[in-house]
Amino acid sequence: MVDNYEVVVGLEVHAELNTESKIYCSCKNAFGLEVNTQVCPICMGMPGTLPTLNEKVVDYAIKMGHALNCKINRICKQDRKNYFYPDLPKAYQISQADVPLCENGYVNIYVNGKEKKIGVTRIHIEEDAGKLLHSDKFDGSLVDFNRCGVPLIEIVSEPDMRSSEEAKAYLETIKSILLYIGISDCKMQEGSIRCDVNVSVHKPGEPFGTRCEMKNINSFSGAVRGIEYETKRQIEILENGGKVTQETRRWDDANGVSISMRTKEDAQDYRYFPEPDLLTIVVDEERVKALKESLPELPNVKTMRYVNDFGLNYNDAAMIVDVPEKARLFDETIAAGCKAPKLLSNWILGDISKYMNETGKSIYSSLLTPQKLSTLLTYINDGKISTAAGKTVFDIIVSEDRGIDEIIAEKSLAQVSDTAALEKIADEVLALNEKSVADYKNGKTNALGYLVGQCMKASKGKANPSLMKEIVLKKL
Amino acid sequence: MDIDILHIAKLSRLKIDDSEIESFEKDMKNIIDMVEKMPEINEHLVLDADHPMKLREDKAVSGKFSRQELMSNAPQVKAGCVVVPKTVD
Amino acid sequence: MELFEYKAYELSNMLKEKKISSVELTESVFNRIDSVEDKIEAYVTLDRENALKTAAEVDRKIATGDTLSLIAGIPTAVKDNISTKGLRTTCSSKMLENYVPPFDAKAAEMLQASDAVLIGKTNMDEFAMGSSTETSYFKKTKNPFDTSRVPGGSSGGSAAAVSSGEAVLALGSDTGGSIRQPAALCGVVGLKPTYGRVSRYGLIAYASSLDQIGSFGRCVKDIAMLTDVISGHDSMDATSVNTEHPSLYENLTDNIKGLRIGVPDEYFGKGVDDDVKESVMKAVKELEKNGAVIKEISLPSTDYALSAYYIIASAEASSNLARFDGVKYGYRTESYGSLTEMYEKTRSEGFGDEVKRRIMLGTFVLSSGFYDAYYKKAKLLQQRIQNEFSNAYKDVDIIATPTSPFAAFKIGENIGDPLKMYSADICTVTVNIAGLPAVSVPCGYNAQGLPFGLQLIGDKFCEQKVLNTAYAYENAVGGFRSPSL
Repeated sequence: MVDNYEVVVGLEVHAELNTESKIYCSCKNAFGLEVNTQVCPICMGMPGTLPTLNEKVVDYAIKMGHALNCKINRICKQDRKNYFYPDLPKAYQISQADVPLCENGYVNIYVNGKEKKIGVTRIHIEEDAGKLLHSDKFDGSLVDFNRCGVPLIEIVSEPDMRSSEEAKAYLETIKSILLYIGISDCKMQEGSIRCDVNVSVHKPGEPFGTRCEMKNINSFSGAVRGIEYETKRQIEILENGGKVTQETRRWDDANGVSISMRTKEDAQDYRYFPEPDLLTIVVDEERVKALKESLPELPNVKTMRYVNDFGLNYNDAAMIVDVPEKARLFDETIAAGCKAPKLLSNWILGDISKYMNETGKSIYSSLLTPQKLSTLLTYINDGKISTAAGKTVFDIIVSEDRGIDEIIAEKSLAQVSDTAALEKIADEVLALNEKSVADYKNGKTNALGYLVGQCMKASKGKANPSLMKEIVLKKL
Repeated sequence: MDIDILHIAKLSRLKIDDSEIESFEKDMKNIIDMVEKMPEINEHLVLDADHPMKLREDKAVSGKFSRQELMSNAPQVKAGCVVVPKTVD
Repeated sequence: MELFEYKAYELSNMLKEKKISSVELTESVFNRIDSVEDKIEAYVTLDRENALKTAAEVDRKIATGDTLSLIAGIPTAVKDNISTKGLRTTCSSKMLENYVPPFDAKAAEMLQASDAVLIGKTNMDEFAMGSSTETSYFKKTKNPFDTSRVPGGSSGGSAAAVSSGEAVLALGSDTGGSIRQPAALCGVVGLKPTYGRVSRYGLIAYASSLDQIGSFGRCVKDIAMLTDVISGHDSMDATSVNTEHPSLYENLTDNIKGLRIGVPDEYFGKGVDDDVKESVMKAVKELEKNGAVIKEISLPSTDYALSAYYIIASAEASSNLARFDGVKYGYRTESYGSLTEMYEKTRSEGFGDEVKRRIMLGTFVLSSGFYDAYYKKAKLLQQRIQNEFSNAYKDVDIIATPTSPFAAFKIGENIGDPLKMYSADICTVTVNIAGLPAVSVPCGYNAQGLPFGLQLIGDKFCEQKVLNTAYAYENAVGGFRSPSL
């Protein structure tokens, strides 16, 4: 049944910016502090107070605009969105209506082995609202204004996604870009990134169906579940001969259902109008350009470079790029002369990730340098030391400032690749294991593994395993 | 021009008694009649780029006001928060 | 002559020369308040204790030879929509009856930094919405020239206080004429500065894009002195203009030789009383006699200005006053169940009818489906009015008009007729719409002895020319009358 329909998804992502101060006042932009301690008359909306716009918010939004290939409206304005709610002290949110800071962009995402371009309608700046706190012990709600005025950007996509996987890939891409350009902490659990989801379904070839919006979903997995639920719900309605009503719904992630909040008829009338307390925002052309030049290589571009230039598989590349520090280590180790990118990738995702997880530390705070890592991996790749010996070396050089060659010598970790020495070992082992030799000759090929293993054991693990195997085969 | 006074009052979070509807309606209608005499203008609103806004440096200043001071005008306070009737979405 | 009767600039000299003390002066003003406040009702809150404390402090500073500002030690009243830290600021509304701001408005802060003696907070139309001070929740201020009449509004308390000697100077705010119109009706001088000259930080907003704090005094010199103190850029107000403001007081001159004064026909049409027209034209002639060149000019969009004003001001007000919801400060209704009920009851009980009317009008013109026809059109008209003024200032330096189309009317006369009340602003709203500076000076009296006002409008930041012209007129007519109370 689902196969007969196409789903159309559009997303609005709200990301809190990690500025030092709030968007319209000098209060600290901080999470998790005692209630109503990060507030002042301005963000509490006291009578007579006025907003002043934080320049970094404008810079950050423009950076994101460049990252998403947007047109930057360097002359723009702010507007008031009017509605009553206890967490909105002025009873209006300062936002942007008809002239957003950035518009008409796109971002490339990667789904099921293919790249796809998703349109970005606009990015605008606005202020966050406070929080309502509830307690079963108390018949009322408490309002904490600390979050009022925390700067947000809202990134609105075109309805270009056709599955929950695409939506997920889009969200992951947006998040990684925010992290890369360093403008948001993207901490889901702190609600610093949230999204509204628009979903509609239609039969292929037919016009788009009526859409429903689900507001304030605070996890990507919740968004995916919400889209899947909503897709199913709408298809069921249509299959039963019904009509989807345009409405705003609330996604209840705990129970896995969406619930109607209000229909189009009683949609809120926000009465947008230009914010009279603020003048026109005018950003110099030079500044717009400088902000573009300040951008690092973006994660989606980087991932594709790792796939195309170094032959990594997409998932490994994405996992490395996902953590900016890992990508930096990858790039710097390659730059240091490492000729084994796949081995490097395995090490970063293996031992190095393990080190980071176990110690909770940055790899850059350890004594491992890209130069040393490059040398170590080159030795392994060239067979100078075994992978096991490599791990031994790694464990030392992360915490001690010592040379790799010195460690190899001290611990006699170098592999034996001397043919004469290996032949001597092979001769001795074969002589001691006549039964296995006979077995092998009678067709029991797995006896070979046993014999090579015995040879390795006799060499105390130092024999070059592939050379050892070659010699044993020759002698059989 | 008919004005839906009750709808406008609802948007404004004002409660207009039945006895007051008529007089508000009349006053509003008179005002609207006056403003409807405005001429048609085929111009565009332009953003004033000649007077750009000076933006604020991103610097946090804290501790200028105590919580107690900021809450001192609130009708109902509990646990450092203002209190409102139970509100869930 | 009692001390309270002197002009501020005279008192300033007397204080400097140690002929009088600020405490004596302040006591003289409070004695005057004690004897006439019952009749005038200009104040919502008086702060005698702190005023005397400040006055004593000023006297100490003078004694030790400190160089003080010109307004140091001068008893000054402040309109009750200008926030004063620790002193309740009500906007003459039940909504803010017990509201005590935790911070000072920038203008109040500057006043205190100049050692002015803040004596109290003056009555006004509720949230500055009105032209008679009758919409105040607390009291109706009376016109000192005839206590059966209104003082004008919305800064009626400030105008009446200065006129009656209950204050030497006062601050008001002007959104559509709220300083100039009561100044005209109470026979005092009132200046509405260029939008952006005085910080709005802490001024409880009525219409943010039109509001401006300004000064009341009994002569032009006093206005110049007070305006100098409150002018200046404020980084807390994004609409505050960052420019130098040379002293208006130091540069004041009554030499207006060659000054071009434009007289726009549209301000002398129907709706303006004949005796008002006559006295304003007589004042213009007086200026001509003193060397000014008079030109007839035209500002054709004036007729639509009142409509544009009421749309823009109400739209902004509907949003600015939405924060009064009983949550963070101000009035909250006694009994309620749901959040919506709390909001609706609080706002319906806390606001008076005129405020409700403007909130609803503003909500309506911004609401879905009506925005383009009303709000957007009003903004386009504003653009056009601004252009007409810019063009006019290519040919003239000052534009002269009546301030109010009529002299003070009887209390209760217009309160039931909003349109009639709104028409009091027909000569003043254009100035706010165009963001210009304008002064009102008394220009004669009608048969019953009620004052008329001459409005002199300048181009942006041309306050000096505006005040020079007013000063030339004041000197030419030998000063203004005080009411006999």
